[in-house]
Amino acid sequence: MTEDSQRNFRSVYYEKVGFRGVEEKKSLEILLKDDRLDIEKLCTFSQRFPLPSMYRALVWKVLLGILPPHHESHTQVMMYRKGQYSDVLHALKVIRFVSDATPQVEVYLRMYQLESGKLPRSPSFPLKPEDEVFLAIAKAMEEMVEDSVDCYWITRCFVNQLNNKYRDSLPQLPKAFEQYLNLEDSRLLSHLKMCSAVSRLPYDLWFKRCFAGCLPESSLQRVWDKVVSGSCKILVFVAVEILLTFKLKVMALNNSEKITKFLENIPQDSSDAIVSKAIDLWHKHCGTPVHSA
Amino acid sequence: MAQQANLGELLSMLDSPVLSVRDDVTAIFKENLNADRGPMLVNTLVDYYLETSSQQVLHILTTLQEPHDKHLLDKMNEYVGKATSRLSTLSLLGHAIRLQPPWKHKLSQAPLLPSLLKCLKVDTDVIVLTTGVLVLITMLPMIPQAGKQHLHDFFDIFGRLSSWCLKKPGHVAEIYLVHLHASVYALFHRLYGMYPCNFVSFLRSHYSMKENLETFEEVVKPMMEHVRIHPELVTGSKDHELDPRRWKKLETHDVVIECAKISLDPTEASYEDGYSVSHQNSARLPPRSADVTASPYVDTQNSFGSVTSTPHSVSRPMSSTPGQLPPPLSSPAPRLSAEAPQATLWSPSLMCGMATPPTSPGNVPPDCPQPCSKAFGALAGGKGTPSGTPATSPPPAPLCHSDDCVHVPLPPPTAAPPRKEERTDPARPCLHRQHHLPNDRGLEELPGGKGAVTLSDLPGFLGGLASEEDSIEKDNEEAAIYKELSEITTADTEPLVPRGGFDSPFYQDSLLGCPRKTPSATTSAQGASVHPEPLNASLDKLGPDTPKQAFTPIELPGGGRDQSPAGSGEHQTPLETRILTPSPFRVPSQRGAGFGSGQPPPYDHLFEVALPKTAHHFISKKTKELVKKMPGNAEEACAPSASPLEVLDRLIQQGADAHGKELSRLSLPSKSVDWTHFGGSPPSDEIRTLRNQLLLLHNQLLYERFKRQQHAVRNRRLLRRVIRAAALEEHNAAMKDQLKLQEKDIQIWKVSLQKEQARYSQLQEQRDTVVAQLHSQIRQLQHDREEFYNQSQELQTKLEDCRNMVAELRLELKKANSKVCHTELLLSQVSQKLSNSESVQQQMEFLNRQLLVLGEVNELYLEQLQNKHSDTTKEVEVMKAAYRKELEKHRSHALQQSQRLDTSQRRVLELEAQLAKKDHLLVEQKKYLEDVKLQARGQLQAAESRYEAQKRITQVFELEVLDLYGRLGKDGLLKKLEVEKTEAAEAAEERLDCCNDSCSDPVRGHSDTVSGHNGETRPPRPGSTRGSGGRGGGGSSSSSSSSQLSTPEKPPTQRAGPFSSRWETATGEPSTSIPTTVGSLPSSKSFLGMKARELFRNKSESQCDEDGVTISSLSETLKTGVDMGMEAKTPLSPDGPRPAPPSPDSVGQLRIMDYNEAHQEHS
Repeated sequence: MTEDSQRNFRSVYYEKVGFRGVEEKKSLEILLKDDRLDIEKLCTFSQRFPLPSMYRALVWKVLLGILPPHHESHTQVMMYRKGQYSDVLHALKVIRFVSDATPQVEVYLRMYQLESGKLPRSPSFPLKPEDEVFLAIAKAMEEMVEDSVDCYWITRCFVNQLNNKYRDSLPQLPKAFEQYLNLEDSRLLSHLKMCSAVSRLPYDLWFKRCFAGCLPESSLQRVWDKVVSGSCKILVFVAVEILLTFKLKVMALNNSEKITKFLENIPQDSSDAIVSKAIDLWHKHCGTPVHSA
Repeated sequence: MAQQANLGELLSMLDSPVLSVRDDVTAIFKENLNADRGPMLVNTLVDYYLETSSQQVLHILTTLQEPHDKHLLDKMNEYVGKATSRLSTLSLLGHAIRLQPPWKHKLSQAPLLPSLLKCLKVDTDVIVLTTGVLVLITMLPMIPQAGKQHLHDFFDIFGRLSSWCLKKPGHVAEIYLVHLHASVYALFHRLYGMYPCNFVSFLRSHYSMKENLETFEEVVKPMMEHVRIHPELVTGSKDHELDPRRWKKLETHDVVIECAKISLDPTEASYEDGYSVSHQNSARLPPRSADVTASPYVDTQNSFGSVTSTPHSVSRPMSSTPGQLPPPLSSPAPRLSAEAPQATLWSPSLMCGMATPPTSPGNVPPDCPQPCSKAFGALAGGKGTPSGTPATSPPPAPLCHSDDCVHVPLPPPTAAPPRKEERTDPARPCLHRQHHLPNDRGLEELPGGKGAVTLSDLPGFLGGLASEEDSIEKDNEEAAIYKELSEITTADTEPLVPRGGFDSPFYQDSLLGCPRKTPSATTSAQGASVHPEPLNASLDKLGPDTPKQAFTPIELPGGGRDQSPAGSGEHQTPLETRILTPSPFRVPSQRGAGFGSGQPPPYDHLFEVALPKTAHHFISKKTKELVKKMPGNAEEACAPSASPLEVLDRLIQQGADAHGKELSRLSLPSKSVDWTHFGGSPPSDEIRTLRNQLLLLHNQLLYERFKRQQHAVRNRRLLRRVIRAAALEEHNAAMKDQLKLQEKDIQIWKVSLQKEQARYSQLQEQRDTVVAQLHSQIRQLQHDREEFYNQSQELQTKLEDCRNMVAELRLELKKANSKVCHTELLLSQVSQKLSNSESVQQQMEFLNRQLLVLGEVNELYLEQLQNKHSDTTKEVEVMKAAYRKELEKHRSHALQQSQRLDTSQRRVLELEAQLAKKDHLLVEQKKYLEDVKLQARGQLQAAESRYEAQKRITQVFELEVLDLYGRLGKDGLLKKLEVEKTEAAEAAEERLDCCNDSCSDPVRGHSDTVSGHNGETRPPRPGSTRGSGGRGGGGSSSSSSSSQLSTPEKPPTQRAGPFSSRWETATGEPSTSIPTTVGSLPSSKSFLGMKARELFRNKSESQCDEDGVTISSLSETLKTGVDMGMEAKTPLSPDGPRPAPPSPDSVGQLRIMDYNEAHQEHS
């Protein structure tokens, strides 16, 4: 009751008439007020609603395990994280792997490599594909998060999550993509199949990099909200929605290379709408996550 | 030729005085004509006639049959062209056409007509002209549609002759002009009557020319004044009046009558009763007619008239005595009513023409003019008809007379009012609703009209009305008036005997048919004696009023008769004149009276009156035209205005008078004197003039006779219609009789019906009474029945009661029986009980006895028992007390116990609560602990990750170090190391020596702790101290370092010499850093340190000590390496030769061996 009294009594009607996100901030604040943060609730919330940008970093950090659920230990843990960051950075500097001139993204990569023990012998060694993925994600993240420590940590944990938690589900995504595309627009799929472009779609860009570098960050972070909160299926719907949105253009192209090329460089202007529609589509097909709060 | 001669003979025989011969010859001619179709015979006849003017030939010629007409016409055409025979030919033609031969329609096509017209146009002989014009006038109605082509010829002729009348070209005698004028006047009437539109337009065009203007003023205009406006002028058009369809319906006499209708001249028009008289009527009854015309009722009446007129008109002839009406009124009524149905029901010309048996006109007129005229005279004289007025036609005469007889008793002075009243009164019962309207209207307006128009005012009033009246309106008026009259008469005559009324006029008419015709035909002749009076009247008021004045005499007789009923003509006329004519005209009136008595006045008087100068004064006030004419020629001026016919009449009359006078005097000179008066012609010419005049008169007479014939034909038709109407009326009456009979039948039936009804009602009553009686009987019987029914019911109830009683009694019987049975049973029971009680008594006694015995035994036992009780009571009491105490004790104990239990229970509860609390607390604690644990784990994880990072860092560093190291080795540092190696070996030896004493214990002690772990490494060490210098050096270095750490000594510095100094200098700086780095080693005692050590151990699988040694040695070597790298040159200069050359090899070997050993150990 206290929660309800704190919330706006109109909140019930906002959703009815289609306003979204009015009361979300408040409910999120209520969620964040708990001493021991309920991670599950946070997950559900972020799956269901777009996160307010001022709380995004915090929520992400909590969800990714960078910060513990206890508020008390946040400062201490953060101190540790900072220390670790500076230590690693220092070490890298000591071994002259990085310098002040090194781009921040590469610094993050080296740090990550160092921490994961995959630091190559020399910085001049060619980058592996996973490093490219990291770089892309880090680049996108750099735009989203201001603090470099946070950025590093979030990037690191995000990539870790991709590599650990989604290790099994990521390869399944292309199949799921085909399935949902068939449901939504079978003609488009048949066209793609006819062009034999299905297998050559930019799955790496979409699913491994999570659209980093494909969508502008402002819309990408909404996708990543979902990814961070534990659902990688949203990536499939974003991909489907991209195809649906650019259906006419895709239908006009009948060469798989051209299609791939086009899809790798889709116009940025409609990305917000794409993401919104994709989220709707996702909710439609996978159901709205139950908000226990 | 024989035939020719025969013809001549026959022709001469025609005029034989013997009648039989004449007839025979005529028959022969007719046979010849029938047999021969050639023109010869006709030609011969014509020639013969022109020579002799034989009456018999004329008769034959005029009755020529069809094929010969052409020859006749041709022949006549031939002779007309010749001036000498023209006159006789024309007269022959006149004779022929007057008889209306069957071929008359061919006249229009015949060449004779154009030649006749031509002759009329060019001829200058007045006699010929007059004859020709009369012939033409006679011919015109016969060929109405044919006149179309010659219309302009007719008009031209009219124009020529009318101008002739005025201009008098040359020597033409005045006498002739009078005749010519009369004929022109007749032509005018004919043309105007037949082709009004064309004629008027001709007049307009012809007389608009200046040269003709005078003619118009003098001649034509007065003629115009004698005609009314032709209806065709309003309704028709030029083309319409030439339309053959218009003429097809009309026969010759119809045309003639049509023309006569137009005329206002009494001499011309009065012959036609239907039109002009009706007009007089309407004019004479101004108030009523005006009302009727004014009211919209006229139309309805007209439209209705077509339906209703027949019965009225049929019934009307019955009204022989419409007594209230004055004769002049009633007289037109029959005729009008006869015409009314004619107009509406059947086409008059056809029906009448078919119906009337044509009385051979050829025979009658010539045969009996004289007796007829005589008869008329007798009639007129004897019956006192208004003979003085030619306007009133003879037919009304008998009617008037009969009317008069009826009318006598009526009050004379109020003739008009009663007429009005009686007109309205009988009108009311009329069946037609519309009649009320006109009647009421008549009632309202009649008095005013009557009051306003007195007899004296009448002429003026009439004049105003007449000028207003339109021809169409007149028609309407007439129709309305006829309607009214017929209604009035029928209404009046209804109660009267119809047959008599019907018969009398009918038979009178039929009887008078012949005489009546003759007077009308011979009016011209009679007119001479009859006319003076109206002439005077018309003379009195010249100008536009003339026609009305001409009519007024008709009214006057009515008025006069009112005052003097059944008065003779002699008495009438004076009265009229006295009333009507103003004072200056008394003389003519007296003369009229004189004439009426048969005494002709002196000639001078008459002449004076005929051309009165006084009249001019009177007239000049009214009409300027007449004033204009006056100075010209009084005679000429007066003549046209007084109607040419009248003038002619007068002329003849004068001639007759003069002739009579002269004859009486028998003096020729006076005669000659008189003749000079006529035109001043010399006596030698007089005979011729007189002959011509006679001829002209004859022509005129023939023309008038023709007209009379036409009228006769018409009259026959009308009569036929009357007969028809009468027949219908009769039929109607018969129907009415039948109706009455049927009504009577109905009455009888009704009476019988009533009787039957009465009988029926009687029977009904009888039946009712019988029914009532029966009903009462039934009621009585029913009552009886009810009574019986009640009785039986009572009896039944009684029976019921009895039955009930029987049943009750039976029940009682049963009860009694049962009671008896019961008592018997009881008795037996009682007896049984009695026996039982006896046995019980016996038992009781026995038992009592036993009881007594037992009581005794009991007493005995009681005694025994009392004896025993005295010992046990004490014990029992004591025991009781003990028990009681014990009980109490136990009770208190139990109480205590229970209290204790309570407290313990409470305590247990408390404890339990505490326990729960503690549990809760515990849980909380646990939770908290968990929380904390989690928190700690989070922190720990962070720390661990940090540590991990640190480890990675370290590894990286290590790698880097190794890398560097490897690079160092690669970079040819080996050479420098050779020098140093010897020194290092020496130093190591020294160090070993001095350190073995002092530092063995701590090293050993220290190594003991880890000996367990690295036990195997130890044995080789002593052996290798010597054997492997490099290694020993390494161990010494480590020991030294450790000793340095543990016990900071100076010996190395002291002993080192250059080396040590160098060492110190080399380590001077890092000495501060080394402790820190090594200083971290003590922290290895902490958790992290231990962990780290374990980690290291695990990784490198080397001893802890040795690790530390290796680390230190490593660092040392590193530093030394560095130092050596740094100071490779400085020591070389003084000490370069000192180190043994093999030493670097050994050192290198050592190192390699060391590695190898380590390798081996590891493997």
